[in-house]
Amino acid sequence: MQDVILSLLAKEPAHGYELRQRLVKALGPAGGALNPGQVYVTLSRLERAGLVEAREVAQPSHPDKKVYELTASGRERVMLWLTDVTWSRVAPLEFHLKLAAAAATRLTDPVALVDSQRLELLRELRQLQELALQEPPDSDGALLLEGASLRLQADIRWLEVCQQRLVERESR
Amino acid sequence: MRWMGLAVRLAARNLRRRPGQALLLLLTLTIATGVLGVAMSLYGSADAPWNRVWRATKGFHVSFTVYHPPDEPGDRALVAELRHRATQLTSAPGVVAAGGPWSHLYGSIQIDGGTEDLTAEVRDPGPYQVDQPLVTSGAWLGDGGGVVLESGLAATLHASAGDTVTIQGRPFPVRGVAETVSRGRFPLSRPAQVWVTLETAQRLRDLGMTEEGFELQLRLADPDRAADFVAAHQSLTAVPSSSSVIPFMETWRQRRTESHSDIDILAGTLFAAGTLIAILTIATASVLIAGRMAARIHQVGTLKAVGVTPRQVMLVLVLEHSAIAAAATAVGLGIGRLLAPPIAETSVTVLGRPEPPPLTLTRVVIVAAVAFAVVLLGTVRPALRGIRQSTLRSLAAGPRPPRHPGRLAGLAARAGVPLPGVLGLRSAWRRPGRLLTNATGLALGVAMIVVALALRDSLDLLDLRPPEPGHAASDAAVAILYDQIRAIILGTAGLLLVLATVNAWIVAVFAARDAARNQAVLRAVGATPRQTVIALIVSQLGACAIAVVAGIPLGLGLWSLMEGGDLPEVSVSAMSLVLLAAAVPVVFAVIVSVPARLLARQPVAPLLAYE
Amino acid sequence: MSKVIEARGLVRRYPADGSPIRAVDDVDLVVEAGEAVSVMGPSGCGKSTLLHLLGGLERPDAGELSLAGTRVDGLSETQWAVFRRRNVGFVFQAFHLVDELTAVENVELPTLLVGGSRRDARRRAMALLERLGVAEQADHLPHQLSGGERQRVAVARALVNEPLVVLADEPTGNLDSRATGDILRLFGELRQARQTLLIVTHDARVASTADRLLTMRDGAIVAQTRLGEGTSVAGLLAGLADLGGER
Repeated sequence: MQDVILSLLAKEPAHGYELRQRLVKALGPAGGALNPGQVYVTLSRLERAGLVEAREVAQPSHPDKKVYELTASGRERVMLWLTDVTWSRVAPLEFHLKLAAAAATRLTDPVALVDSQRLELLRELRQLQELALQEPPDSDGALLLEGASLRLQADIRWLEVCQQRLVERESR
Repeated sequence: MRWMGLAVRLAARNLRRRPGQALLLLLTLTIATGVLGVAMSLYGSADAPWNRVWRATKGFHVSFTVYHPPDEPGDRALVAELRHRATQLTSAPGVVAAGGPWSHLYGSIQIDGGTEDLTAEVRDPGPYQVDQPLVTSGAWLGDGGGVVLESGLAATLHASAGDTVTIQGRPFPVRGVAETVSRGRFPLSRPAQVWVTLETAQRLRDLGMTEEGFELQLRLADPDRAADFVAAHQSLTAVPSSSSVIPFMETWRQRRTESHSDIDILAGTLFAAGTLIAILTIATASVLIAGRMAARIHQVGTLKAVGVTPRQVMLVLVLEHSAIAAAATAVGLGIGRLLAPPIAETSVTVLGRPEPPPLTLTRVVIVAAVAFAVVLLGTVRPALRGIRQSTLRSLAAGPRPPRHPGRLAGLAARAGVPLPGVLGLRSAWRRPGRLLTNATGLALGVAMIVVALALRDSLDLLDLRPPEPGHAASDAAVAILYDQIRAIILGTAGLLLVLATVNAWIVAVFAARDAARNQAVLRAVGATPRQTVIALIVSQLGACAIAVVAGIPLGLGLWSLMEGGDLPEVSVSAMSLVLLAAAVPVVFAVIVSVPARLLARQPVAPLLAYE
Repeated sequence: MSKVIEARGLVRRYPADGSPIRAVDDVDLVVEAGEAVSVMGPSGCGKSTLLHLLGGLERPDAGELSLAGTRVDGLSETQWAVFRRRNVGFVFQAFHLVDELTAVENVELPTLLVGGSRRDARRRAMALLERLGVAEQADHLPHQLSGGERQRVAVARALVNEPLVVLADEPTGNLDSRATGDILRLFGELRQARQTLLIVTHDARVASTADRLLTMRDGAIVAQTRLGEGTSVAGLLAGLADLGGER
């Protein structure tokens, strides 16, 4: 969640309400279930961590708005998050958020994002297979590796579907 | 019952989907049913006009005829006895009318190009209760002498009332021309006939005509009892075996049949031809049907996977092919009804316009039986094979795999036969079912070529009859009939040759199609197109060899079944059989090379696609 | 390292209603000796067609193709057949063994075609079948073998003449997981033996064994990646360049 908000701020600073709108738009159904308070809580945490800073902007006929923008370390954090291709158990959801963020903010080409993630998974698969070759065929080790390999294959297939969908959307 | 509706719809859809092959099958079948149909419509096509004349002339139901050579004293008493019996017969139970007995005189009449035997029937003045001939020109016998000609005789002489004919070398005026059913029409029915009065008869006797017999004609209360009547009074025809007198009794139906023996011969010839063609069609049909089956193995598999029983699957197949057989029957019978009258009209024995006889159930059943037999015989084997196959295999499509490896090809390989040849031999040997089907088809073709050769040889027989004196006109008429038969025989022989070639062509095309995938694989592995063509040809030569070895004896056997009777034996010369045995493989190789080469020119990739 | 495959501007068109479709659209490709290359892409992207072009099963409408220095794009059917039997081994998704020949007879075919003696052909074929673990099935007909066994026979056939390159079109498409594993192991061994491989595949496992991965879309190669190296995030970073620059 923190990373998403950070990346949404990367393109352009925004105040709380605007940010929430961007979030909803970017995440679709996942964003609608957001608690409005959640955004502000996250923002203050980020502020305390020094990743965002708030500014008061004077408004003609309204009370002062608090506008948030990224700090330099905030920017660094966004970069790291986007380019981090390690895959973990919650990876699909997180990757979906990354993809949404990339698509909404145009920070990077979503297709390239999927491609590089897919390549990384292929490399992981290759390593798994090389390990499996060293195991005797019917051992427990081989079984475990087979399980990991199957899950990787499923994720790779999902990434291919994402890619396909993105390409179709682009050509429209 | 609901399944029946679905089965019908499936069958109809299958027929519509690949109409080409269905139409081809229909066409080949229709050739056979068409010929049979004409035969069926020819039999008895002369009956209707005959019946009309029979009714108009108060025609006989039973006749009692006696022939005797002249001037045999011993026989005179016998003849007198027979006349007495005849007279007694007129008062037998069941008889309602009698005509005669009328004497017959034997002599000769002058015809263009020679003389013809003549019978003069001596009539009392009349009127007659039986057999009042129908006058078509001039008048019946009466005062003033003269003769009345039978209509066929008049037609041959181009004579009518007022003309003159020469009998026993003397001129006689023609008083009239009349039709009767008591004789067949001249010239195919011999001898020629005229009617004369008692006075004219005496003059003829003076001129040398001799008494040769008499005829009594009876009408019964019930014409359908004629055969029983004849059976009941058969004893009246008993004579000592040493005598040369020939008495016999005949019913009107028998006389009718005899009067049109030429049409019956034509019909019989056509029937035989149709049967031969039908047999050959079995071969073609089975290859065509096997081809359709191969394309539909997938559907069979799907149906079975859905839970349809093999019997129900069979039903769909049977329905489809029954539809084709039924259509062929209908078209064949239709062709028969169309073509039979013009053919029958060429006959000289018909008394008026021939009409195709009403389509009795028997006739329809005969033609239908042939059509259905061909189709069912062609269907059985491929259908059973398709149904017994496991479901999964059907769904995976592809041709049925071969059963066991063979030694022959190994021998060939060791003998140094080039690789494509070895491949071809292996291909053929390891698929015995397909080999046998193709061989059977080709064997029938070869058999029919043998029959065609025999037919052609038998034509020479028709020319060998020497002309007999006193039969000038009738010989001419017979010659016309023989020409017709000759045309039919030649036509049949030619048709058999053509059909055998078409059959070979179909076998070749389907063989090429079967081999398509294997050809593609060979080319992917690096065989040149030429090598694949050779492999295909060699693989088919096996079937060809079997066909020649089996087909020639089969053809000779068929021929010996067909002939027999009065025709002397015709044996096809050994030389022509040897030539045939050598020519068939060569011709077949050429035939196979055409689809093979076409196939080799096609791009390989689509055949290797996963589908 | 010599170039086993060198393709430049390969085009293959299919006539479709209206304008022809380019199944392979201006493809350049180089494969070095000993490389294993896999080609991935969605259905209909032209990867199978590309494979057919490289092996001479289809003719390019334009472009140049050389195999081990020999120009092949202009060869006739017969010339291609002669070239192919010695230099190219094909492995297909549907196995495509000749139904009427036993396993060993299938494997002997290329050697016999090249003109080898029967004894030599038999010896080589049996050796390969042994190496691939299907020697026991040598006298069986294809329909008596399982899918995995059939594909191993097919691979043996592809290898028997020690070809320049083995072209495989979805080699594991028809195989179950275990048989796929066998083939993977096989390909691994081939790679170690420095056999040049080009594999068209949907299967991530098969693709990941290659040194180089080509991605095709709509007839063109849209990406080429070396799988042996580290993560390539250069593309990603380029897109993030303006992050730091703003403000």
